[in-house]
Amino acid sequence: MIDVVGFLVSWLTLLGIYSILALTLNFESGVSGVTNFGKVLFYGVGAYTAAALTVYLVLILNGFDVGRTPPYSVEGIVALGQLAGQNPALNLALFALSLVLAFLAAGLLGYLLSYPILRVGPAFVGFTLLSSGELMRIFLQHFEPVGASKGLMSIPGPFAWVPEPRVRELAFLGVVLALLALTYVVMDRLVNSPLGRTLRAVREDEVAALCLGKHVPRLKATVLFIGSGFTGVAGALLAYYLTAVNPGMFVPAVTFNVWAMIILGGMGNLRGSLVGAVLLTLFDRLLTFLTPQLGITVISPDYVRWFSVGLLIVALLLLRPQGLLPEEPVRTPALEELEVALRGGGSG
Amino acid sequence: MASILEVNSVSKKFGGVVALEEVTLSVPERGIVGLIGPNGSGKTTLFNVVTGFHVPDKGEVWFRNQGGMERIDGLNPNEVFARGIVRTFQVPRLFKNLTVLENLLVTPRNQLGERPLAALRRGWEREERELARRAIELLKRFDLLPYANTRVSELSAAHIKLVETVRGLMTPARLYLLDEPAAGVEAGVAHRLFSLVRELREREGLTFFIVEHRIEILTRYVDYLYVLHNGKLLAEGKPEEVISDPRVVEAYIGGG
Repeated sequence: MIDVVGFLVSWLTLLGIYSILALTLNFESGVSGVTNFGKVLFYGVGAYTAAALTVYLVLILNGFDVGRTPPYSVEGIVALGQLAGQNPALNLALFALSLVLAFLAAGLLGYLLSYPILRVGPAFVGFTLLSSGELMRIFLQHFEPVGASKGLMSIPGPFAWVPEPRVRELAFLGVVLALLALTYVVMDRLVNSPLGRTLRAVREDEVAALCLGKHVPRLKATVLFIGSGFTGVAGALLAYYLTAVNPGMFVPAVTFNVWAMIILGGMGNLRGSLVGAVLLTLFDRLLTFLTPQLGITVISPDYVRWFSVGLLIVALLLLRPQGLLPEEPVRTPALEELEVALRGGGSG
Repeated sequence: MASILEVNSVSKKFGGVVALEEVTLSVPERGIVGLIGPNGSGKTTLFNVVTGFHVPDKGEVWFRNQGGMERIDGLNPNEVFARGIVRTFQVPRLFKNLTVLENLLVTPRNQLGERPLAALRRGWEREERELARRAIELLKRFDLLPYANTRVSELSAAHIKLVETVRGLMTPARLYLLDEPAAGVEAGVAHRLFSLVRELREREGLTFFIVEHRIEILTRYVDYLYVLHNGKLLAEGKPEEVISDPRVVEAYIGGG
């Protein structure tokens, strides 16, 4: 018997996290034209910030000497497992603190990186960010304090003290969806404002925007700060959801999966990003489920997924480059003024 | 009348090609000054020097600010724009995937709603409505209102030209450099455009410096005309005098 509720809860949780990634990537790349091929960099920074902060603080606050019992050692992992459900207030406080710090860490990294990358020319922004992401992954693979290639495990979640697993999962899903809603409102307000219009103008023609007195580098730095900040939050949520992080989770394919979502949904259309996230996470689930059923055992579902996502991107760019939901004009009160003027013109 | 723009002995070379050689001219405040010359005579290069796209090899550009004349050669385009000089391009540089209305609305600098925190909190709607009304007024004037919600990429070449000039009028600049505003625009619309230029000068005290190939239209609206030829100033004066100057006729017909 298939566990329908369990499937729905886990799918919606991952969908929520991926939707945050898709919305912010659309804001950065679809609306503002910053080719962010390094999404996974900020995602990883957020995840590791939250994970490291939580495991270290839980051990330290419970009197462990992290020099002798580091969180990635067997003793540390066992201790974390035992401590996870003991102090609800601590769990929740650490969770809240992690979200804030993950936002700041990833956001500031985006802001700082914008200085070198925006000076290498638009075509190279993507590659610079892509390679920065890979540098981070390779660094993490060898950085002992966060567990090197094994990563960190047994991260106490905010609701680890709830005995009933289903309730725990639902509570976490609630938090994810609330943060997704927050991200959507923020992105929607930014996109449908004079700022959003200016960002689109920068995307269309940087030189012309500069001529109109727009401060192009500062605008892009702001975009990367906000976009990366929310990406960091998504990373933190992932770390708590899986209760583990390791460098293998942050390969470039993750970035391109999110790219496929926004290309499918429609570049520059926020609702499109949600549609893209729904379709691709469902596809992903289906694939994981079906690959063994179809008798494809020689290759792992991962490869089938990467192959089909790549194929999808190429097909979309050829057949429907505007995506399922094309970009719409910026929604501001100016449209109401225009409507009044057009109606007035029609009757008079 | 006091000049708002002064170009002093400006020279600019590109490799071995002399684009401008010792060009000296001035634009009086509230003037409408034309700049003509055969293709390749350096008109656009001069605009590029004034608006900060090129740094002159020699010479200076001065612009009148509140305090007096300020030297502006060597400033960045956005800094020149900030001082109150706006230009249009010979090949229009509109934002193609934005609508006509958006192209107009994006133009004014330092809008409240362009600041991230203000965009989040709202409160910029009043300014936005005011800008929208100004934009709609301009669009009405040029029969562009039906195209307000059309993407620029779907417009005809003539409309694109017109939209770019109209967009320039959205900003509270004091000096407008228009690079061939009437090129490819039907005569009736071109005349309306120049009439508006006149009206803006009378009503708002604005100054215009206009490059135009359609001399027959231009001469009816400008008070003063400069002629460039091979990067050098060939003639200047009242339009009717200048166009009957044999050297100018020679430059245009001779093509050399």
